[in-house]
Amino acid sequence: MKPKKWLTTVAASVVAVSVLAGCGSNNNGGNAASPPASNPSSPSASASESAGGKQFENMELNVAVFQGGYGREYWDTIAEDFMKDYPGTKINITASPKIAELVRPKIVAGNPPDFMYIAGSDNLPIINGLIKDKALLDLTEVFNEPAEEGGAPLKDKILPGVLESRSSSPYGDGQVYLAPYNFGVMGLWYNKTLFDEKGIAVPKTWEDWFALTATAKDNGRALFTYQGLYPGYLEEMIVPSIYSVGGQEALDQFYNLDPEFWKSDTFKQVWGLIERIAKEDNALMKGTIALNHTQSQTAFMQGKAMFIPNGTWFEDEMKDAPREDGFQFGFLGAPAFTADKPAMAMTNVEQLVIPAKAKNPELAKEFLKYLYSDKSVKLNAEKSKGVLAVKGAADMSIEFISESMYNVYKAVDEGIVTVNGAFKSVAKGSKYNPSDEIFKPISSIMNKQLTVDEYGAKMYDIFTDVQKELEQNGAQE
Amino acid sequence: MVETMSMKTRRGLFIAACLLPGLALFLLFKVYPTIQIFQKSLYLWTGVGDEPKFIGLQNFVDMFHDDVFLLALRNTGFLMLVVPVLTLLIALVNASLLTQSKLKERGFYRTVFFFPSILSFVVIAILWSFIYHPTMGFVNSGLELLGLGDWAMAWLGDQRTVLWALAVTLIWQAAGYYMVMYMAGIDGISPDLYEAAGLDGATRIQQFFHITIPMLWEIIRVTIIFSINGVLTISFVIVSVMTAGGPDRHSEVVMTYLYSQAFTNSNFGYAMAIGVFIFIISLLLALISNKLTERGSH
Repeated sequence: MKPKKWLTTVAASVVAVSVLAGCGSNNNGGNAASPPASNPSSPSASASESAGGKQFENMELNVAVFQGGYGREYWDTIAEDFMKDYPGTKINITASPKIAELVRPKIVAGNPPDFMYIAGSDNLPIINGLIKDKALLDLTEVFNEPAEEGGAPLKDKILPGVLESRSSSPYGDGQVYLAPYNFGVMGLWYNKTLFDEKGIAVPKTWEDWFALTATAKDNGRALFTYQGLYPGYLEEMIVPSIYSVGGQEALDQFYNLDPEFWKSDTFKQVWGLIERIAKEDNALMKGTIALNHTQSQTAFMQGKAMFIPNGTWFEDEMKDAPREDGFQFGFLGAPAFTADKPAMAMTNVEQLVIPAKAKNPELAKEFLKYLYSDKSVKLNAEKSKGVLAVKGAADMSIEFISESMYNVYKAVDEGIVTVNGAFKSVAKGSKYNPSDEIFKPISSIMNKQLTVDEYGAKMYDIFTDVQKELEQNGAQE
Repeated sequence: MVETMSMKTRRGLFIAACLLPGLALFLLFKVYPTIQIFQKSLYLWTGVGDEPKFIGLQNFVDMFHDDVFLLALRNTGFLMLVVPVLTLLIALVNASLLTQSKLKERGFYRTVFFFPSILSFVVIAILWSFIYHPTMGFVNSGLELLGLGDWAMAWLGDQRTVLWALAVTLIWQAAGYYMVMYMAGIDGISPDLYEAAGLDGATRIQQFFHITIPMLWEIIRVTIIFSINGVLTISFVIVSVMTAGGPDRHSEVVMTYLYSQAFTNSNFGYAMAIGVFIFIISLLLALISNKLTERGSH
């Protein structure tokens, strides 16, 4: 029996090992990393002198971009244009939907690309890692320099509030480390045709909104559904509501992981909405909590629910999905708490970064500036159907984007109040992920298995702990 | 004499040359990363660009103060207990039924039951998330058809049912595979035994317990370990696609938690510590199940 027993044990361990090996392969060579070789070679320094008086020691730029819904065509074209305008430069583009997996080993080896566009939920964590490690180049100077010779500084072109927000300035010290790229607007959507035909007024306040539960019932649908498996989508209602009730001060408290937020009146009012959705008859579509994003969005488009939160990518994302007759995308944003306050919407800005260890930061900065030119904004709209976070981008992009998208962006340009933000980084090595801690338990509130009071107490404890970790971390450094 | 020696040496060299590439790949892609996991589990490391910092066993200590990890461990434990037991029981009964009863459709059922094993896990997960779909899913529509509409619920959206719902998927996925293994084993049992038992007046059920199970015991022991480890691996895909760990983490399993700590929380050292812990647990489980089932072989 002995040998057989060993055989089974070995078989079991081989299975176990291969499972673990699968997870471990990403940390290959962590120790074998060689220090970055400095690269003083300048293959064609003479050519650079003719390029508008600008000189670059190193003429080669390695660019890594996320290839998602926006594709890679924009990047290929803009790189060619740049090489034409700056003769002698050479741009190498690496594009992939899993760009983080491609650049991670290079970053670990101390040999990162010179310029990166990272987006997509699979890839974004690498940016968080770089922020935690303080491994990004300070880009403040790029935005303070004039966009064109003798013109206004580049930062005047960017949409207001973007550079100051934590998604660009992660340490809250006003220094810009992440440059904005495409921006999206998020909030509640409805079927415009239904509202027009039945003469339903678009709700201005949450009271109006809840009053529609009866109207919804008359039209054979629930008031609301959301991407149940991913309660994070609810931030598109929660964040504007925090701002609407408690202003920037409350929002800062929320994003700065302040435990006191969870005892505030703002918290109680905003999460009161969630509880109301859970409890009111016909408010939440049956089964919502078990649905993934595609399932719930399809249900919404088929007329099973009146509202759903989502972003400007909605129409494109669901272009092949079945829908009820005459369905038209209508964007509402988030209703206000009282009638005297404006409607709001949440924005989200994609990020461009230059790693601190980039070999060619000067050329990378020049390339970054180039991306904000009008020519590039138009090209981006044409090739990737994206809208850059610069003023007037909606009008520059009008011929290339869908009507629903244009309407949303136009509303932003014309002053629908937008909020955006990002959580402060937790301490290195912390087990907490603020977004998960906050949004995942909402499923339990929706299931009526957790009260808002219990939830608030739990959040208070978690964020007290998070702050303690941050203090200890600060003491260590 | 000299000739044969050199033949032997050359033979040996040839065999070594054939083995080397495989061995090198095995060392590089299996052994080396595994050693790395053990080493990295002792460090504080984001897995991106920083220098790993040695913190001893702190990651392991933290693990037992981490409520989410403990919940994930409990959920995994539940699946590791329920799924193998039910899977193997169903597989055994099916295998015995299909081999003993001289059904004409035997071959057909064999293929149908084996079918889930050749589907990819992702396909299975998507398939089942539509079966459990709260409004248009097969389960709830079926209940309504039978007039049991009140029993219909969002199976994947309720913390009381989500783990059972996932367990059913895991059992469905694996039962056919083990059934085929058992059928092969049963085919190897001499029909004389059944015949003799039949003459002595033993019922089919008695035959099952006194002939089939003892004769298959060695195969059953191996499949127990395969099945436990299978739950560990497959649960990652099934949970990621079907529930994303929800609602409120009530279907989070250790593998999904490991993944989110490593790749969304940039906590590589901690994730590796979880990996090491799972490794030790599965090794222990294999040894324990081996020990427990040992007497049966005598």
